[in-house]
Amino acid sequence: MDLHFSQDDQDFRARAREWLTANVPTATRPAHGPASAQFDRDWQRKMYDHGWAGVSWPKAFGGLGLSGLQQVIWYEELARARAPHYINTTYIALMHAGPTLIARGTDEQKAFHLSRILSGESLWCQGFSEPNAGSDLASLKTRGVVDGDHIVVTGAKMWTTDAQHADFQELLIRTDANSERHKGLTWLICDMTSPGIDVKPIRTMLQDEHVNMVFYDEVRIPITNVVGEINKGWSTALATLSFERGLGFIGDQLELYERVCRAIDLAERTRLDDGRFAIEDDGIAQRLASIKADTIAIRSMTLADIAETDRTGEPGPKGSMMKLMVTGTHKALSEVVSEILGWSFLEFDGDRTNHPWTYDYLWSWVFSISGGTSEIQREITADRILGLPKARI
Amino acid sequence: MYLAPDGDEIEIANAAADFLADALAIERLHGADAADLKAPLRQLLGEMGWFALAVPEAMGGSGLSSVEHALFFREAGRQCAPVDLLAQCLAANAISDADLRKSVIAGEIGIALMVKDGKHHRVFGADDASYALLVSPDEARLYAMAGIATTPRPALDPANSIRLVQDLPDPIETASGGSVWQLGQLGTAAMLVGIAEAALDLIVEYAKIRETFGRKIGSWQAVRHPCADMAMRVEAARSELWYAATALKEGRSDAAIHLDAAKHMANLAAQANTDSNIQLHGGIGVTDEHHAHLLLKHAMVLSRLFGSKRGLLSRLLHARLED
Repeated sequence: MDLHFSQDDQDFRARAREWLTANVPTATRPAHGPASAQFDRDWQRKMYDHGWAGVSWPKAFGGLGLSGLQQVIWYEELARARAPHYINTTYIALMHAGPTLIARGTDEQKAFHLSRILSGESLWCQGFSEPNAGSDLASLKTRGVVDGDHIVVTGAKMWTTDAQHADFQELLIRTDANSERHKGLTWLICDMTSPGIDVKPIRTMLQDEHVNMVFYDEVRIPITNVVGEINKGWSTALATLSFERGLGFIGDQLELYERVCRAIDLAERTRLDDGRFAIEDDGIAQRLASIKADTIAIRSMTLADIAETDRTGEPGPKGSMMKLMVTGTHKALSEVVSEILGWSFLEFDGDRTNHPWTYDYLWSWVFSISGGTSEIQREITADRILGLPKARI
Repeated sequence: MYLAPDGDEIEIANAAADFLADALAIERLHGADAADLKAPLRQLLGEMGWFALAVPEAMGGSGLSSVEHALFFREAGRQCAPVDLLAQCLAANAISDADLRKSVIAGEIGIALMVKDGKHHRVFGADDASYALLVSPDEARLYAMAGIATTPRPALDPANSIRLVQDLPDPIETASGGSVWQLGQLGTAAMLVGIAEAALDLIVEYAKIRETFGRKIGSWQAVRHPCADMAMRVEAARSELWYAATALKEGRSDAAIHLDAAKHMANLAAQANTDSNIQLHGGIGVTDEHHAHLLLKHAMVLSRLFGSKRGLLSRLLHARLED
């Protein structure tokens, strides 16, 4: 065991810190609408122009080709510099679509899309979940019929984050009408400007309209947009999801420590309704300290996992336990802050900038449901880590 | 940067696991008179050098580090090893008198662990122990048991006997500084991680064979999901243990914070996992013949040693990590 960062890694951290300190946007990101997407594109473009785009992507495809450990360093420095949160309208393009195309795309697909993703020119959204296919993704029904050199898509997708801003979509559909479950699916690149697509926002408990339903009425998509093989899209989809369950939430894992330190600062200057500072309340102080220990351990879990992944070359199944731990800690922190802030916690205008703690509290359910619910993460852990007898199909 | 056992570390952990599973197997605790570290075993452990892994070679030890110390005590925890095993090891690191240290390392004389209890003290360990070690975050004191009157008390945990001490003479030696405390924190955290792992292993094994309603219980989500939570707690506590052990080895300025965090995470993992293990076993889990209660009771002792919840959390609240 060894905690020393190599000279290369230390130099990388120093370069990243210097650049971020000088270049992180000083303006506040707009909370909603086209201006929020433009803000994300501009920040991505700036990183791209200065050679900081695509930290996890191989060099051959325009990325930085960083080791897992250097990605940890990058995300730590982003958090330290208070950079715009990396889960924004560029997230699906950079963390899902790009890596999937690199692994499974054709040369033409790579040539067209990858640099557009890195530069922030193309934003993507995800079209996997449906009204009747969420955790049980393999029960999806949106169908595609081959017609000449096109696939004609009809159906509906659900929970599509940022569909209103996206240029393209990773779309998982059923192309074999007689197939069941994991068979007969196809992974397609869908141009969001195609005729027949209708995006309907879903207002959430956060009072925002970031997620959408997307309807497809005989949308014609060229067969050349298939990623992987027709009717073998499940394999491509698993590749897509593995990027998210590998390092996709690494930034949140590392940012939590900073966030709990901010909550402790808050408790030191906020008075409870009995006049004491919140930090003087034993219950609040103990919970904050315990959450802080969780976040310290989360960083160690991340480093232990990265060490293994860098050595074996592929992400293991531990990402599921990590997501459970991170979402649970996030929620516990939100709950204790709700007590520290008292009545003022109940003020909320839907803008994260104005009411960050209330926003994060509401977001804790988004976090523990999206990207695989906590229940699904426990199932994956029971199957793949513990080898318990299968419960599902 | 590599945060998992590697190379020689793995070999030492495996050797410790094999030795302890043979010499100090948890099964012993189902028999009579199983408490404490008995003289013959103490001498065998001494001959094999297990008490002095972290003691420098010039002082008669193996010259290894806090990392090997943690790996050894994790295996000891899995077998619910008595706390005098830890006391013996800490004394080997604390004692300045060369002759005395040599006989402690060799296991020729026994060391018990003393803790403060209000105005009084309690001693965990064999009644033939020659000395008792009392460790605080600032110093370690060694007392000769010969001059101390003790009253035996019935012990919840069969791994150790408990004796009450009314009046304490002056210590025969005092080692100032926090290094013994830190090795004690690391050793107890490691044992608690071992207990949390052992509890998880027991229920996973059982869930694969026990059937209810015509199915293996490991296929019911009511069992699978708490098992997944147990695995998560083990992963968190074990990762933080590795970090703390390595930070101590490398002399990092935030090692003390990581030791507090490691002990806290290990306390939580062991308490929650030994609890879930009993519950998920059902009726068999509350029987005396099962190991489940042994893990719970030993975790209750270890979670109070070298930092209990209140003290750990008050230090962690304002601690800042190194970059």
